[in-house]
Amino acid sequence: MKETENRFVPPAGAAPIIQLQGVAKYFPGVVANEDVDLEVMPGEIHALLGENGAGKSTLMNILTGIYQADAGEIIIDGYQRTFATPLQAIGAGIGMVHQHFKLVQAFTVAENIHLGWSDTPRRASAAVLEGRTAELAEKFNLQVRPGAVVSDLSTGEQQRVEILRVLARQARLLILDEPTAVLTPAEARELFLALREFVSGGNAVIFISHKLDEVMEISDRISILRGGRKIATKQTAECDPHMLANLMVGREIVLADMRTRAPGAAPVSREPVLVLDKVSVVDGGGGRLLDEVSLELRAGEILGIAGVAGNGQRELSQVLTGVRRASSGQVVVGGETLNGANAADFAALGIGHIPEDRLNSGLAPAMSITVNAVMREYARPPVSSGGGYNPRAAQLLAVDIARAADVAIPDFGMPVRNLSGGNQQRLVARREMRIADKVLVAAYPSRGLDVGAINTMLRYIVELRDAGAGVVLISEELEELLNLSDRIAVFYEGRIMGIVQNDNPDIEEIGLLMGGRKKKKAAA
Amino acid sequence: MQLGSLRLQRLPSAHPGIAFAARAAAILIALLVAGVGVAISGMNPFELGGRVISASFGSSFGIEDLCVLVIPLILTGLAVAVGQQIGIWNIGAEGQFYAGAFAASAVGLFVPGPQWMVLILMFGAGFVGGMVWILVPTLARAYANVNELITTLLLNFVATLLVYYVSTGPWRDRSGMANSATPPLSAEVPSFWGIVHWGFPIAIGLAILVAAALAYSRWGYEVRLVGSNPSAARYVGIPVRKHLITVMLLSGGIAGLAGMLEIAGTVHRLQGGISNSFGYLGIMVAVLARGSPIGVIFSGALMAFILNSGIILQTQGLTTSVVLAITGFILFLTAIGDELSYYRVTRERA
Repeated sequence: MKETENRFVPPAGAAPIIQLQGVAKYFPGVVANEDVDLEVMPGEIHALLGENGAGKSTLMNILTGIYQADAGEIIIDGYQRTFATPLQAIGAGIGMVHQHFKLVQAFTVAENIHLGWSDTPRRASAAVLEGRTAELAEKFNLQVRPGAVVSDLSTGEQQRVEILRVLARQARLLILDEPTAVLTPAEARELFLALREFVSGGNAVIFISHKLDEVMEISDRISILRGGRKIATKQTAECDPHMLANLMVGREIVLADMRTRAPGAAPVSREPVLVLDKVSVVDGGGGRLLDEVSLELRAGEILGIAGVAGNGQRELSQVLTGVRRASSGQVVVGGETLNGANAADFAALGIGHIPEDRLNSGLAPAMSITVNAVMREYARPPVSSGGGYNPRAAQLLAVDIARAADVAIPDFGMPVRNLSGGNQQRLVARREMRIADKVLVAAYPSRGLDVGAINTMLRYIVELRDAGAGVVLISEELEELLNLSDRIAVFYEGRIMGIVQNDNPDIEEIGLLMGGRKKKKAAA
Repeated sequence: MQLGSLRLQRLPSAHPGIAFAARAAAILIALLVAGVGVAISGMNPFELGGRVISASFGSSFGIEDLCVLVIPLILTGLAVAVGQQIGIWNIGAEGQFYAGAFAASAVGLFVPGPQWMVLILMFGAGFVGGMVWILVPTLARAYANVNELITTLLLNFVATLLVYYVSTGPWRDRSGMANSATPPLSAEVPSFWGIVHWGFPIAIGLAILVAAALAYSRWGYEVRLVGSNPSAARYVGIPVRKHLITVMLLSGGIAGLAGMLEIAGTVHRLQGGISNSFGYLGIMVAVLARGSPIGVIFSGALMAFILNSGIILQTQGLTTSVVLAITGFILFLTAIGDELSYYRVTRERA
């Protein structure tokens, strides 16, 4: 079906639908975008490729009027335009379908299509709205059920409603953010057909993704972002996944090796301290969030988990710490199979957990620092004896933990949310390290921290490894993983794509695995 | 002298002294406004105020009245406050109050035996009656995440009408003139000072007991953590659902006990409208106490004083609606005062 095995050639004499020149956006302390040029021609599907934090979302938010650029120009049909609001961008024919849909769940499809739209008739019955929706659906060849309530629809159907909503407003440029992440393969094929049809009428699509295969399949041209800058724009026909992975991950990774052990550090054990055996996690709708994951963690080693966020890392950390039960498969800790155990049992066995979302799941923000600091040890002496809880002993323990974390606290009774993010994270880390005799699961421990705080966190992790615990380090910073891990397991759609020894790592291979591709030589 | 510009700054936590002052100011302003209202309608507010004070505190009868009135207010307030500890709004204390009164009356009317035994059974029946009344909302919340605000509220009407029905129908006193109430119960909670019965120390003791359990037991720590952030509790491995169920049942039981003490200690028979909206007033008591079980003793006393003042003012020709308006005004201003105590005015030199 694909007509674009060869070079994409825009219609003769056609002007770009949209053109960005030198666009930059700065946030305090962060360059989100700088010097980005981008040209989208009529009739093309233009893929935007990049890691988390490469600046894709910011760039699209500028294009759709959610942010305003700090420098550079947006040119549409030869005129420079600025969008103060998303409505102005929609008026100029730019529409976006976000990864997380922005539909009103309790409304019908027809109501959602007509919501906040100037073309909506002033007095409209449900029948009129549904009639109009049916016409639109036919015009754009997108099958939707106008009378159905959105919360009853599958994710694929909801996405069609979102797309129809955008197209109904006469969009000429449709931006899709990770559109296939929520779709089944069959739904994805349908989507691709609809996109092809849309661009054949002289419109264009910007397709944001990190999946190399699907980018290769659907796009005409590919632009790669890295570190907020555009690295290259290529004809898809001239690309191959290896080259894209290279461009996406880049080569200028600063290696500050923290893998060498201090003298006297515990050696890597022969027997694994924690084993996952074909562990799967299935969600309510039958989707596989973890798909037969098997791995072994040894004492005294750091196992890095790489992958684009949302590929099963959250579920992995939950299963490893007992917060969530595996739908099938086994979790074995120190030779003991833990089926039916809960998070408290895991913690009692010596498994610490620095959670991904520390403020919302690792802490009770409104409660005192003392209550938060003793969360792991409140049930044992000296804080508890029998059924009693001793606030004074709890505070003494909290003082200990705060001292180890090097956090100065004026009042242990004040809510923990009053601490800075870095101090909260240090407190959580120290609290977890105290119980992590066997294993520490650290999910994105450096997320949201400044450089100094990141260094402290990484030092803690190395310290724990040297003390003989096994560490599972989940991160989206490849640099961090390369600096600390002994091995790196790459996750993609809930599966382990491959485990790479980190002695002479092939960064290109990791990049390929993250994009869902195996390197050819690995198969041989 | 140069005036700097004023700036409002929100503090992360309110200073306790300032918070207390804000509440005192709220009550004062409410009384002031009420006084002005009374003066406009041609009465002397100071004279009325003096009469309220002397009738409330001038004699032991006044103080006894207050003490009896405070019992159901502390207990229904405690019931709501306990629920708040785990993040539950028990709007159904009114219904649980009636259910407790109903169950205790059944024992008091139909179970033969020595007084002390019947009384103990009545205590049990009152508590269990309240628990039964909150059981369905509890299970719906714990297993299907059905909002307890609606389920507990709706059951209030059922319980109120049930008590009206039995006290004017099948359980009606057929012996004498009172045909809208049951006959006197066979057992009663003894009094120790005038009309003040043992429900008074029981209510205060229970509030202290609950406060101590929350602060000094592992159960209390876990309940507070679940109430503050259920996902953190789940992350540590605390059985969230189990605690939710026990705390909601406890809340219902305490409200049921309030109903039992009201009929067994104060009224001595079951009749319709026996609650005087104590269940709903309990919500105000708990809010005024900021969900603190110890605070409930004091806000319960304040509420009893306001209600009692209302009764006294009625004898002076003011209507109940005026008293209700003053009560509402105090709550309204307290809420504003609570919020304002988080702010500080700072002056910047221009």
